[in-house]
Amino acid sequence: MLNLALATILTPFLGAVLVALSPQPVAKHLGRAFAGLALAFVLGLAAVFAAAGKPTVARTVIAFGDVEILGFAVDTVSVLVAVAVVAIGLLVAIYSGDYFSKDNREHADIGRRRFWAFLLVFIGAMAGLVFTSTVIGQLVFFEITGACSWALIGYYEKPKPFASALKALIITHLASLGLYLAAALLFLDTGTFSLGALAGLPAGLKTVVLLAILVAAWGKSAQLPFHMWLPDAMEAPTPVSAYLHAASMVKVGVYIFARSLMSAGEVPEIIGWVGSIMAVATLIYGFVMYLPQADLKRLLAYSTITQLAYIFLGLSLSVFGSKLAFDGAIAHIFNHAFAKTLFFLVAGALSFTAGTRMLPVLRGILAKSPVLGVGFVVAALAITGVPPFSGFFSKFAIFAGGFEVGATHPVLMVLTVVALLESVASFAWFLKWVGRTVPGEPSETMAAAQPLPAAMKLVLGILIVMTVVSSFVATAWLG
Amino acid sequence: MVPSVLPLLALAVPLVAAIGIALLPARDGTTRRTETLHLGAIAALSAVVLALVVEVARGTDVSALGGWLYVDPLAAVFVALIGLIGLLTGLYAWGYVRHDLEHGEIGPRGHKIFHVFFHLFLFTMLLVVTSNNIVMMWVAVEATTLGSAFLVGLYGKRPSLEAAWKYVIIGTVGVAFGLYGTVLTYADGASVLADHEGAILWTNLAAHASALDPMLVKIAFVFVLIGFGTKAGLFPMHAWLPDAHSEAPSPVSALLSAVLLKCALFVVIRYLILTTRAVGADFPQILLMILGFASVAVASFLLYVQKDLKRKLAYSSVEHIGLIALALGFGGPLGIGAAILHAVNHSLAKALIFCGSGNVLMKYGTRDLGEVKGLLRVAPASGVMMMIGSLALAGFPPFNLFVSEFLILGAGIASGHWVVTGLVVLLLTVTVAAFVQIVSGSVLGKAPERIGVGDVGWRALAPMGVLVALVVVMGVAVPRPVARLIEDATAVVVGADRATPIAAPWQKAEPIARLAAPAAPRS
Amino acid sequence: MSGLQLANGLAGLLIVTSLLVITAKRPTTSAFFYALQSLVLVGIFVTLAGVTGSHELYLWAGTSVVTKVLLVPILMTRLFGRLDDPKLGTGERISPAVSVLMAAVVLALCFAVVSGVSLPAVAATKPALAVSLAHFFLGLAAIVTQRNILKQVFGYCLMENGSHLTLALMAAKAPELVEVGIATDAIFAVVILGVLGTQIHRTLGTLDADQLTSLKG
Repeated sequence: MLNLALATILTPFLGAVLVALSPQPVAKHLGRAFAGLALAFVLGLAAVFAAAGKPTVARTVIAFGDVEILGFAVDTVSVLVAVAVVAIGLLVAIYSGDYFSKDNREHADIGRRRFWAFLLVFIGAMAGLVFTSTVIGQLVFFEITGACSWALIGYYEKPKPFASALKALIITHLASLGLYLAAALLFLDTGTFSLGALAGLPAGLKTVVLLAILVAAWGKSAQLPFHMWLPDAMEAPTPVSAYLHAASMVKVGVYIFARSLMSAGEVPEIIGWVGSIMAVATLIYGFVMYLPQADLKRLLAYSTITQLAYIFLGLSLSVFGSKLAFDGAIAHIFNHAFAKTLFFLVAGALSFTAGTRMLPVLRGILAKSPVLGVGFVVAALAITGVPPFSGFFSKFAIFAGGFEVGATHPVLMVLTVVALLESVASFAWFLKWVGRTVPGEPSETMAAAQPLPAAMKLVLGILIVMTVVSSFVATAWLG
Repeated sequence: MVPSVLPLLALAVPLVAAIGIALLPARDGTTRRTETLHLGAIAALSAVVLALVVEVARGTDVSALGGWLYVDPLAAVFVALIGLIGLLTGLYAWGYVRHDLEHGEIGPRGHKIFHVFFHLFLFTMLLVVTSNNIVMMWVAVEATTLGSAFLVGLYGKRPSLEAAWKYVIIGTVGVAFGLYGTVLTYADGASVLADHEGAILWTNLAAHASALDPMLVKIAFVFVLIGFGTKAGLFPMHAWLPDAHSEAPSPVSALLSAVLLKCALFVVIRYLILTTRAVGADFPQILLMILGFASVAVASFLLYVQKDLKRKLAYSSVEHIGLIALALGFGGPLGIGAAILHAVNHSLAKALIFCGSGNVLMKYGTRDLGEVKGLLRVAPASGVMMMIGSLALAGFPPFNLFVSEFLILGAGIASGHWVVTGLVVLLLTVTVAAFVQIVSGSVLGKAPERIGVGDVGWRALAPMGVLVALVVVMGVAVPRPVARLIEDATAVVVGADRATPIAAPWQKAEPIARLAAPAAPRS
Repeated sequence: MSGLQLANGLAGLLIVTSLLVITAKRPTTSAFFYALQSLVLVGIFVTLAGVTGSHELYLWAGTSVVTKVLLVPILMTRLFGRLDDPKLGTGERISPAVSVLMAAVVLALCFAVVSGVSLPAVAATKPALAVSLAHFFLGLAAIVTQRNILKQVFGYCLMENGSHLTLALMAAKAPELVEVGIATDAIFAVVILGVLGTQIHRTLGTLDADQLTSLKG
């Protein structure tokens, strides 16, 4: 099993090296092939893992010469998240192969090797981060994803994307100070970097370490006060945003926080308080920032910030003893990844066909391109949590968990209600945009739109299906 | 201590090479012969250095000339660095200097001067790190300045002459402080040790350090730190460094930054050992921490604002030397080990990126970052390697500086210096921004029309490829023999027995735990 | 007057000569005063040798006569005599009067520092030791306060003489090879600084350190 996990991590890295060594036209095929290979490995891992009765396997023995390198843990949570990040990686790779073309109305481009190499490295690093069982491993992959995200956000090589990319890199790097601190403290006290050692720390030190990890998590997941990099990062090519800012990079934060909570045993309540209060603050902030946005991608960025806040809220509530909230949060990582990727890819498809993603000039999407119209609606409903779409089920679990612990902590009850209100309000806001853009006669811009390439349609189709299915997959898997 | 001919051989090879090249006539027809001699000499030197280092790594400290030369594991680390970086920059210089010659930057005379002084420079640096005689050590440090001054001023243009002048005047004045410190130490030793002759040998001084006059030891250490710290490029004595590094031919910049600074640090470490044994660790550690932190703080901002590629890299050297000094200041087996590992790692990465800056110069004819654009498009291999070098120096995994920086920060926390460690991490973020600027501004982007597509020759690329490989290997897992040598070197400094391990944080978690623990006293 | 008192007295003379070196108008004049100073230094060596019976010190005195009294000043006169920068003037940042005042302050400080040293070997020669330390810093001050790059070279020479005297006072029986090494090094340093100075004068047409400003930041 660990060999399969390792293969999932290393295959994309190998692919990146090959991409760097091959001529540019081959890069696209190599990129897709290796992303596919990685998915095959991780699905294989999931199958073997499920067949074996989902045993938690953690080993620190992967030899590199005569020395040991990084430990890995395979358990229900890591396999689920790994499948999501690798599968979406492949979907984005398939989509990008056609998106980066001379026909793209907004950004005509040939899809340089740089994109493919860094995308593959990113997939590998994400898989590594998901499977690693040590704080130092988290730190290493955290930093690698940071460097890759810089290269991908700045892909268009203009001053503005570079500035945004630098902002993303610097802010997340500052936040990584938390992981440095956590790793050093854990190591100095226990002599190991293993996450499992968290449980054995004395309470005071455990609080410090968990808070340090929480700070790093906020940075990567663009929560207050580290949120400002994400909206600017929308300068990235849209498939990059779809992958980094929906499925993978922003999930690094919530994931490392979730893993440390899982490993920490008895968690001091202060972590729960800090986490849930900051989450609700971020929720409110993110919602307020919806209002002035006209660019679809920037709207999505703020939406991502609030959805991640839900996940933090769920994780923080679990500190007070709600298993339901924890599972809801993990399921939301999975569901939100597919739904938000769909939304970003719809935005990218609009750029591709119509040359803009400014909401006010888009009208009659459904009439011109049914798949885009349906995708837009489904994504909006899934994000805002309307049944039967995936977002509903995971958010429901988080809220249910909130009411469960709210029964004994009135303040938590208040926080949960605030979050619930935000959910309703954001539903109304998205509905407004859906109503304006999707139905009706095509606007001038939309009427002039070009048809979508087949590969992009295929990816959108798969993701539309996933917005319904993903929550059942997650629920079934987490049991 | 076992007498051996190897240290003498290591010194003889570059010296003979320098003399041999000096004797060749400087005409257009003889440049190939000079190159042959040059290549032969660096190959021979690396063979001798390898033999010497292996000998020491096996556990025997070797000496020569009646104890005047002495190579213990600490010295061996630095000997190995000089041999390795000398070999690779020497190979790089093969293509680079030939390019300069073909483009009229230098004449056959300059070509010859370069090669003579290149080997002389290697000789003087080797003399520094193999000296056991503290006065000879000082003489050798002074000689490195004199040996490299003409290399810095090789192009004979206004800025390079200015740089050379500043370098020599600040270098000699700084090292005059070093002389004073040396004289004080010797005089102190001579009045305590029965044997006057013996007081000049570092090994004897170290063995009787506790008998030295504490006041004099402290004064001497201050002088030594100012003196050799100047040479190492610590703030505020670093003023010569950006000028000299940026004006020197790129292979020399690489040597200066990767090896020369480390040689000066080596001398500081030797005195650190004496001082620690004589008056305890607190006094020297505080001084090193102050200078180290100040260097990191000032250099990270100056690094950020530079517009000239090589000046940027030069300030990065100040910063990393500061980090090493800081790690020495944190002390303990972890701090010392991290410092030595960082010295090695920084050498590899800095040599790589200075060679990369040489490729930029060959391609664009300028170091102005405003004009260098799109390196990746016109010279893909150079571009990728510059990118790797930049990321490595910014401290990203999976490259080597991440490992040692992590250990340094760990040492900071282990020694209880929370605030300093935290501030350093913040300052390192500024560095990240600075290096990312290099990549986004110059490696990526559209190349100017006038620059044709096509990489520089394999002679320049091959040694860089080796450096990239080393940067990655040291970043993924420190190879056992290297780790052992650094552990032994650490043991020399902290005075424990030779078993304190050094490794990347994910290598064998258990032995590093021992590294963080207080060292067992030498039995 | 005992030998050691003589040594202390001669040490005082060193300060006078170094002030002459610093304040002299032309580099060649400074070279002459430097030779004179080195002669005083040799005098101190001989005196000390007489008192301590150290054969090594006689050797030092011998090598110093060859290197510092003859070789270095002659080299300097030959190298620097040809170079001139009329625009520079004296190239002093501070007036000679201030220089003398500064020297006095430095000397006082050094006496204070040296009084803290308790090594028996230097008990009788503390004034000379203080002078040697002050001498070192005077050289440093000369480098900082002189704009003429050739005068800066003399600053280095003064620093070197200071450490040389310290060595003689504190460790009279040091092996002569030490001394030879230091002396040789000083010669090389002077030669290289001279050659570079000549190159700068030829290429840039100036000897003014303030004109060497194309590298900044």
